[in-house]
Formats: sequence, C-alpha cells, structure tokens
Amino acid sequence: MQVSDYKRLSCRIPEAPLKGIDEVVNRWIGACRRRAEILQQLERDAETVCGLQKELGNLDDHHLQQKLFHHREQARRNGHLKEDLIPSLAAVREAARRQLGLHAFPVQIMGALALHRGMLAEMATGEGKTLTAALAAVLCGWTQHPCHVVTVNDYLVTRDAMWVHPLFRFCGVRVGAVTASMDSAQRRKGYEADVTYTTSKELLADFLRDQIRVQPIAHPTRRLIRRMLSPQAFSKEMLVQRGLHTAIVDEADSILIDEAVTPLIISSSRPNPSLTEAASLASELASELDPEVDYTKNLRYREVEFTESGLAKLAERCGRLPGLWRGPERRSEIIRQALVAREFFIRGKQYIVESEKIIIVDEFTGRPMPQRTWREGLHQAIEAKEGLKFSDPSETIARMSFQRFFRCFRRLSGMTGTAAEAANELWQIYALPVIRIPTHRPCIRVQQPDLWFPSRESKTEALIRDIEQLHKQGRPVLVGTRSVAYSEELTTLLTGKRIPCQVLNAQRQQAEAEIVALAGEPGKITIATNMAGRGTDIRLGEGVAGLGGLHVIATERHESGRVDRQLFGRSGRQGDAGSAQVYLSAEDDLFTRHLPVSVQKLLPRPSSGSGMPGGIMARGLVKAAQAKAQRMAWKQRLAVLRADEWLKDSLSFTGNNG
Amino acid sequence: MADATSTFSESWYRVSSQKVYIREGVRIRRQNFRGERWHVLENPFNNEYFRIRPEAYAFLARLSPDRTVGEAWQECLDENPDTAPGQEQVIQLLAQLYLANLLHYDSASDASELFSRYKKRRERELRAKLVNIMFMRFPLFDPDRFLVRTLPSIGRLFSLWGLLLWTVVVGYGLKLVADNFGALREESQSVLTPENLPLLYVGMILIKTLHEFGHAYVCRKFGGEVHVMGVMLMIFTPVPYVDATSSWSFRERWKRILVGGAGMIVEVFIAAIATVVWAKTSPGVLHNLAYNMMFVASVSTVIFNINPLLRFDGYYMLSDWLGIPNLSQRANKQLRYLSERFLFGIRKAQPPTTHRKEASWLVTYGITSGIYRVIVFGGILLAIGDHFFIIGLIMAAVCFVSWVTVPCWKFLKYLASDPKLDRTRPRAIAVSCAIALLLIVFFQFIPFPSHFRAPGIVQAQTWSEAITVSAGVIEEVPSKPGSRVRKGDLLARMSNRELELELQQAQAAVAETDARIRQSTSGGGVDVKPLQQRLAALTNRVEKLRSDLNGLSLVARHDGLWVAPELQDAKGRFVAKGVRLGLLADPSSFQFIATVPQEDGDALFARRILGGEIRMRGEAGDVIKAENWKPIPGAQRILPSPALGWRGGGEVPVAMDDPNGQRAAEPFFEVRADLAASEEALLLHGRSGRIRFQLESEPLLPRAVRRLRQLLQKRYQL
Repeated sequence: MQVSDYKRLSCRIPEAPLKGIDEVVNRWIGACRRRAEILQQLERDAETVCGLQKELGNLDDHHLQQKLFHHREQARRNGHLKEDLIPSLAAVREAARRQLGLHAFPVQIMGALALHRGMLAEMATGEGKTLTAALAAVLCGWTQHPCHVVTVNDYLVTRDAMWVHPLFRFCGVRVGAVTASMDSAQRRKGYEADVTYTTSKELLADFLRDQIRVQPIAHPTRRLIRRMLSPQAFSKEMLVQRGLHTAIVDEADSILIDEAVTPLIISSSRPNPSLTEAASLASELASELDPEVDYTKNLRYREVEFTESGLAKLAERCGRLPGLWRGPERRSEIIRQALVAREFFIRGKQYIVESEKIIIVDEFTGRPMPQRTWREGLHQAIEAKEGLKFSDPSETIARMSFQRFFRCFRRLSGMTGTAAEAANELWQIYALPVIRIPTHRPCIRVQQPDLWFPSRESKTEALIRDIEQLHKQGRPVLVGTRSVAYSEELTTLLTGKRIPCQVLNAQRQQAEAEIVALAGEPGKITIATNMAGRGTDIRLGEGVAGLGGLHVIATERHESGRVDRQLFGRSGRQGDAGSAQVYLSAEDDLFTRHLPVSVQKLLPRPSSGSGMPGGIMARGLVKAAQAKAQRMAWKQRLAVLRADEWLKDSLSFTGNNG
Repeated sequence: MADATSTFSESWYRVSSQKVYIREGVRIRRQNFRGERWHVLENPFNNEYFRIRPEAYAFLARLSPDRTVGEAWQECLDENPDTAPGQEQVIQLLAQLYLANLLHYDSASDASELFSRYKKRRERELRAKLVNIMFMRFPLFDPDRFLVRTLPSIGRLFSLWGLLLWTVVVGYGLKLVADNFGALREESQSVLTPENLPLLYVGMILIKTLHEFGHAYVCRKFGGEVHVMGVMLMIFTPVPYVDATSSWSFRERWKRILVGGAGMIVEVFIAAIATVVWAKTSPGVLHNLAYNMMFVASVSTVIFNINPLLRFDGYYMLSDWLGIPNLSQRANKQLRYLSERFLFGIRKAQPPTTHRKEASWLVTYGITSGIYRVIVFGGILLAIGDHFFIIGLIMAAVCFVSWVTVPCWKFLKYLASDPKLDRTRPRAIAVSCAIALLLIVFFQFIPFPSHFRAPGIVQAQTWSEAITVSAGVIEEVPSKPGSRVRKGDLLARMSNRELELELQQAQAAVAETDARIRQSTSGGGVDVKPLQQRLAALTNRVEKLRSDLNGLSLVARHDGLWVAPELQDAKGRFVAKGVRLGLLADPSSFQFIATVPQEDGDALFARRILGGEIRMRGEAGDVIKAENWKPIPGAQRILPSPALGWRGGGEVPVAMDDPNGQRAAEPFFEVRADLAASEEALLLHGRSGRIRFQLESEPLLPRAVRRLRQLLQKRYQL
C-alpha cells in the first residue's frame, strides 16, 4: 500500500463514548484538564512570547523570515514544535504585526497556544479570533499535516483567507479556501494548500464524496490490485482532500454542539410515485380528522396519537391509499406523519416557502438550510399541507453527522465566545478541554434585568414602544429573535410606524455581514435571527458610545444560555459601552415546552403591559427550563452518537464506515 | 435507534445496495411455539441459535448473491405490505445476524473489527462468569466422537426395551425402599456428618457424570451434536456438565423434553441399582457408597433438577412443554411490562406476549421463581457463611452487590433517566416512592406478634435427693421405689459394721478417760486438764459416729414420690458416702426452669412479656400455661439438668471438658415459672420441654436487624 494513499485516507477512528463509571471518571479527568493551572501556564507562556518582542522587533524582514523558515524546517522535520513553540510563536506574532498591522495581545497569544495544544478557547466576541486562529494555523501549516480552519459561512471563509494571506505567505505557508461555489478542481487546489479555510459543511461534504469514491476500493488489497491493473484509473484526481489531521473550529459550540447531530447527507433524488401519492392522500385524510376527538397531541415530544374513534375513521377510509399503505400499521404511520406536519410544523418557524419549495429553518440558529430535507414522508407531508408540488424523495448515498465527523480529527481545537456551559459535553465527546481566556479589556456591558409581560402580544407592543424610544434617542438597537416569522412580524410593525429597520435572517451571508457591521451606527435598528451575521464585529458609530452604546434586545430566552450570551455579546465588545435586555412572557416556547404545567403557574404574569422585572424565582425558573432543554438536547445527541456507534459496529460488513 | 416499526430508516442506504445472505451451512428449522411458527437458525460451528419470526424469515429467504437487500425488501413489501419488516427492523435483523456470524457478506470485513468483536465477546463471557459466580463453568473436552462411537451399544438402552428394563429396576428399587424404610431413615441421620462427606461427594460425582451422559446420549441419538463437556463449580463444588443446546433445534417438542429429562431418568435408574446394592450388602464402603448415591439421586433430583424454579433440567423441560423459550427472561419482561404499564403508566410499554395464557404462565413463573431463588440462595449463603467465615463474607458481599446494590442502582438510574419514562417520570417516581414507603412502613412500623423460646425442665416445687450420709451396705428398702412415701418414712436402711465397731471403740475410750479423770481428781488433780480435753474430743467423736450410724437409715424428708430405679435390687450392695440413691419429688406442684440464651436476654429483661406457654417434649399438642415467671437476673453456667445440654440430648451447647455435660458453653439466664394446673399434660419431675414467651408485638425490621447483629456478634465477635 502506498504511503500517500494511507495519508490521504487516514483519519482517527473515534472510540465509542464512555458509559457508567468510565464516564464519571472521564468527567473528573475533564475537570482536571480545565483546571486553573492550565490557564496560568498559558498566561506565563504568553508573557514569554511577548517578552521576545524586543529582540525580534530589531530584526529586518529578511532576517525575520530566515528565522521563520528555520522554525518551519524544524517543524517539518520533526512533525511537531515542542521546544521551538515559544520562539516560533513570537516570530509569527512579529510577522503578523508587520504584515497585517495587528499586534497580537497577550490574550490572543494565549488563545493561539490553547489552540495549538488542542483545547477549546473561550474568547469573548471582538477579541480577534481570526488573528488567533491564524497564528495557530501558521504553526500547524509548517508541519505539513492537513490543517483546516473551519468558520461559519462562505463569506467569512473568503474574507479570512484573503486577510491572512500576507501573513501566511511571509511565513512560508500556502493558504487555500474552499467555498460552496467551487468546482472540484478548485476544491482540490484549496485542500492541497498547507492551511485550508473552509466551512464545516464543505469539509464534511468533500470528505463524504471522497469516501464514496474510495468505497469500492476501500480494502487495501483491492486497491493494490486495481492499481496494478490500471494505474491511470487511480489517479490523484480521484480525491480532493488530503486526509483529516488538524481542525481549528471557529464558533465551535454551534458547530460541535448545536448543529452536531444534524447529519450531512449526500443524496440523489429519485421519483417515488407511491410515496408522493400516499403523502397527498394522507394529507387529505388527515384533514378529515379532528384534534382531540380523533387524535391527541403531545407538544413536548411532537407526537400525535390516535384515539379509538380516529382509528375507526381511518379504517373506514383506508381503501383509497395505494397498495403499500393499505395495511393498518403503515397506514397510521403515514397519516400520523401528515398530522405531525399539520400540528407541529409551522411555516416561518420550522420552515419557509421560497419559490415553491420548502426550505427548512434550523430551529436553533434560525437559519434556512436549503439542502436539508426531512426524513422520508415528512417532507412530502409538509409539501402536501402547503399545497406545493412534490419534490422527489431523496435517496441517501452517504450520511454523517458533524459530531461523528469532528471526532475523526487527530487534533481538534476550537474557539468560541460561549462554551463553558457545555464544557462536559465537549470533553466527553471531543476530548476538548474548555479554557476561558480573559478579555483584553474588561467588559462594561450593562445587563438589565429581564422584563416579564403578561402575554406575547403585550410583549410585542412593549418591544415596538421601547425600540421607538431608543430610536428617538439615536441609540442603535439590535433585536434578536428566535424565528424568521417573528423577525418578519416585528419588521412589519416597525415599518408600519415608519421606523426604518434592517432585517436579517441569515440568507445572504455577505450582505448580512455588511449590515451587521453597520448595526452600531447611530439610530440603526437591526432585527436578526440568532445566527445572522455571526462572526462579524459590530463597531460603534460616531457618538454612540456616549449614548450608552449598542442596545441588544432578546425577544425570548433561548433553549441554551450559550446562545443568549452570544446575542448579548454583540454589544460591549472590546470594552465598548453597551447594554442588553431580555423580554419574556410565560407564553414563550421555552417555558411551555420545558417546564411542567404545574411549575409554569409560578412564572411571573404581571397584569400591566409595561413589563415587570422578574425576581429570584423567575430567574431560577428560566435557568431550570434552560437546563432541562439542554439536558434533553445532550441526551439526544448522545443517543445519536451511540446509535451511530452501534451502526458502525453492527453494520461493518457493509464496508462504509460513515 | 429510531422507532423500530417505521417503514423507512435513515440508515437504509448503508445496507440497501449490499448483497448479503445467510451463510452456507447455517441450518434453519421450523418450530412451533404455542401455536406460532418460528424459524430457528443454527450456527453449526458454535452451536448458537437464533430464533426469528416468519415475516423476518420471509425476508431472509429472499436474500441471495444476485439480489441486493433493497430489492429483497421491496419484494417483501410488494407481496405483503403490512407484515413485511420495516427498514429499521431489517437493519437490526441484519446486524444481529452479522454479530452472530450467520451472515455472508462480500466486502472483506475489517480484520481489526473482527478482533475487537472477539475481544468484546470474551469480556462479556468473563463478566457473565463472574456474575454467575455460583455456577461457573469450565469447558474441558469435546465428547462428540466418543458419543458417536459408543452410541450403537449404549444407545440401545434408550429404547422400548430400555424403558421396560428401567421400569423393572426402578420398581424393584422402590419395593426395596418400602421394605427397608426403617433402616433407610436411620442411616439418613448420618449422611451429613463430616466423616461421610467425602463419600457423599464421590457418590455425587459418579451419579452426576452418568446424569450428564444421559443428556448427551439422548441428544446425540436424536441427531444433536454435543461438543462441550466440562466442569461446573456449583457453589464451589465441582460437578460435571454437558452442553446439549443442540437439542434446541429439534423440531419435535417431546424430543427436546426428553433430552432435558434424560439426566434424571438415568439418575433414577442408578438410584434404583444403588438401592439394590445397598439392600443386599452389609455395612462397608460399598454399602455406604450405594446409600450416598441413592441419597444424592433422590435429593438433588427433587431440590434442583426437576424443580423448574431454578435453571436446571426442570426449567428447560417446563419451558419446552409450555412452548415458551427463554421462559425466565420472558417472565421478567412480563413482570416489567406489567409494572411499567400499570404502575408507571407507560402506555407504550410493549408486552412480551399477547396470549393471555402465556402471560399468566409468565407472571406465575416470574413471581414463584423469584421468591424461590431468594430462599434457596439465602439458605446457601447462610450455610456457607456458617462453615467458612471468610468465603461466606466475600460471597455475601458479592451477592449483596450483584443482587441488591446493582439492581437498586440500575433501578434508580432507570427512574432518573430512562427515556421510556420521560412522560410519566413523576408518576413512576411517586409510585416507586410509595411502594418503598409502604415496604418501610410495613417492616419498620407495623408490629407483628413476637415471641421467643427457651428449653427448660420441669421440677417439682419440693424435691430432694436421697444421698447417703455414710457408707454402708444396703440392708433393706422398705419403701418401694416408685411408690408414694410420707414424711418420716424409711426409705433405705443400711448397715456398717466398721462404724459400729468404731463407735464401740470410741465409747470404750470415753469410759477409760472418764475413769482416769476421776482417778486423777482424787490423786491431786495435776493431769486433769489434758484429760478433760481428750474426753471432750472423744465425746464429739462418739456423737459423730452416732449420727453417722443414724444416717444409715434414709428417711423421707417430705411427702412425695420415691424415685430410685437403681435401688430395686441393691440389697447387700455397698454404697459409698455421698452417693445419690434416689429422688424424692412432691408431685402436687411443679415448676418449670427455663434456660434462656443470651440473645434473648434483651427480650427477657427489657421488654414486656405478655404470657408464657410450655410444651413438653413429646407432647407438643398440649399447652401448659406458665404463671409467675421469675427471671433470675444473673448469668449462670450450670444447667438445671444435664438433659438440657447437648450431651444429654438437649439443645444447649455444653462445655466439652465437662464430664457431666452440665456446664453450658455459654452463660444463660434462668427463668423459673409456675405451671398452671393442666389435666392433659403429664407432669413429671425432670421432664424437659420448651417455654414460649409471648412478647409485645414488634415490627419486623428492627427485629431482623437485632438478630443479624447478634448473629454477627456471636459468630464473628464483631
């Protein structure tokens, strides 16, 4: 077997997640790896790096480059940078100062060291994560192991890759970028570079496509025979990637946790008339059933169950369904799906309709996911409900969750603004210890107490009123919503009052990044779903700081406290002034879904519509609901991972390991 | 894993294009269980079985080298849309077959994966071995070839003629048992004595080996292969075992039952032969060995083999007879289902069966076997703990962990985090707490009648022993032993010539001294003082001798029954001084003297005793009420009668170095109680019996805790 083959295909084979006592012990180990001494060590090392500045600052460019190349040779020869780490990093820092004009703060050096040591660095928004990642990426690029810097969207990929280019060139590292619009030749070029900037989606999709290509010859013996028979057929062009070794993941929490179980699916669509016909008939039959009489629904688990009368009704009308669906089991399955589509999938919340097509909205991020489809039947059921033309059901060719994928890297590290809440999960699943890097300047953002309203309507009214008032003062406002539908509702109301506002729901990334970047201008009102424009700094406009900086309003608490913090973190960056406030009502999804009905009664329900700050109890309940939601989500993710492991073990005869 | 019944699966792509099929050489047989059809897949290489439903089989049967899984599934679906397995089910089925090595697949599997699977399997087996520490198995050799070679000759025994022979021999054996029942019972007393244990063990090994060969031959005769024979450490006692699981694939139910019963059939046959040998030999090694083999064959058959509540032959026979394979697991599942469905309110809980009759069998079996198991294992633990302290302690710890801690922990985990309970968790927790509370209340607070017993002896209120005051020859026994005497009656008269002579001599000396005193007074009175002293001494001696002589006539000190069995024909016999001639007891009123062991001291002194009842030995039916009991607050060691001690056939342990057998090994408390007048009971002095003190009602748990602590304190000085 050729070494190059092995390198191209090699990736770590992750171990199954631990169970029982092993898990508990591993939890302790994780806590140990996050202990304060680790941070202090980083701090000391960062100081040493900064201390070398004087000596390096006197060198001319040529000598600095010579020094850098020397370190590069060392790294390439040894495959690592053990004793050279500190001087190398100092040299790269100096190079960044000259090439990018940015002088890395000690906290950024700490971040880069944390990344280099395979940790997850929690760094506040606006602390210069791009530079931090670039420093670590240079060190990794020198070793010539495939290194991927994973960012949130294509716009950031291109922007960051462009921005770091001078630094990388100066340090003797080739940098590439891969975005959605590229063809395979461009992709290959991107991956051939020492360091590749890309998005998680592209990275995984290319990995899967490579796997599909390799699959028939996955076995080394077969590959050898194939190569002997026709050396041309097995060319370098077959694969685009160079293998998985190092990944530096930006916004790691959203990729490694929130989107972790979302599988990326490579599929081809194939018409299935039987299914589409059944879906439309099922939708018709479902509309004849009455809620509560024929079926009951369970909000928390998004399930419906037939009552006796419902089953009888179905039995009576089943004759119209096509063959496969005529038996009682399969019949109730497809009609149940139609009912689920009707009861729990709401336009604007779970999906939007664009140009006669269903586009799924990620509930966590509020971002549309055009490539995603629901599992067989459900998608068609929703199309039937919306009266759209049926799309052909897709047939999966390869499939892998991001969770499984990122476990395949030999060296994983990441950065994010918020990770502490998920420290245990990150350790258990990815073996990533979370290290909280202090901010360069202290944060002076004012977190105003949560306001409670009697109902959703009164909350909306209050929101419009307060936005109007702030707008009059000239303060910029950023409103974070959970759903696309609500962001649109707010926009309509504001426009009705002739208040200019910008709405973003993360559909046009580049334009949005630009809009978000301007959200700090005086009097600007920006309404955004959670993930919109993530990764872009909001700089304050002229005179805004004097007014109190950017004001962030969260229209709801999110299921995860992390996402809330991300939103708040949009203001008060790098020691800027700013404030944030949450508007809540007992009718919010978070509470109706995750608190028992009896406990929901304890939530504050003020009588006036002007809003009332909640007490300790209300704060506790919010925390409880979030904790519950997080626990549920974590369990789901773990279950998916275990199911993946089970499939891997028990279906290994199929030859593919995805 | 997704809902197993759904038609489509997200992982379908992984198998749909594969061409896999059942491996060559896998035998598939059809079997009926409770009227339902099943297919049993047999892996010929390791005797592993896999039972599948006809619907799943319909799919498997379609798999072939020139068809993909997807195509086969589609065909199934077209043919029978409602019963065809869903994609998820197909995936699980294929996975299970793959893990059981029953699947042929094209792509060369990852060798490292195969190894890791093997390793996991070994680990699982080792863990199962450790958990089943009481029944550890060690496979030793493959008897198949031997069986095949010897089957032509031995196999003939398993025929109609064999049955006839069996009936005759067993019938004869039974007759001999009936004839010699008395001797049989007598010898059974000594079976468990330490001297007999080695022989008992030899007998057991012999008979169990033949037992296992019985299984093996019958199984082999019906065509099942028998590849493993070895040694099982049953409660640390090595016994042989054989793996006859290949009988599971027999289509006819009676064959499976017969294989299960073959061991016992052989055993009973051997027992009959042993009976014949035992009856026809006189005591000796062969005789004893035969007896032990009889004992093992009958006792072990009743307690272990035929009993379906433990997982021995009877269990498999019952399970085959009922047509419920995996009876025990399914019974547990059924109980679990019932509690989930009705106690915790999980509406989606799936019962293991839908047949009413099967369900009732499962419930009955589950409950009885659970209780039986607790009793048997508890007994075994106690017995082992009794004999081997350290081993007993270790085993108790292991058993406590595996039978109490682990299940409790699992249950708590299940309550806290099982997804099945997501919707009814509050109810499940409430119900569990309520049950736990009920149990606690039941055991900790509900008082139950409580009592303790103590052995004791009846004594007359007034009684005395007739003890010789001086030695002599018995001359006369005027009151007949066994008769009633009155106070002052002469019981026995003895004579002692020497005493009389001595008296005469002493009297003479007195006379002499008297004379010398008088002489001396008249002659000046110088030596009078020493003489007077001598006279006093001599007079004393005369008095003493006189009373000794009087003592030769034993007189009744009070009215009573004169009990002196030995005096009957003792006339002319010399009796030394201080010898007990007989007993004089007044039969008008009796008292009962009980020896209460220290463990019950607390009950005796600290708690209120409501009443006492005495039952005489041999007259358990008649109850005599005890009145005015009086515990003597001070530990004693000397038993009121040797009859209470071990040496005297009683139950109180006595010190080994005491020749009289009257000194108790441990101190005890004495209780004296008056006996109420009773017409039925025959009260006799010296009769032993038991007193039962009724205490105030007390809850069970504190009582058990106290008992356990006392046991530990006593046995292990903890």
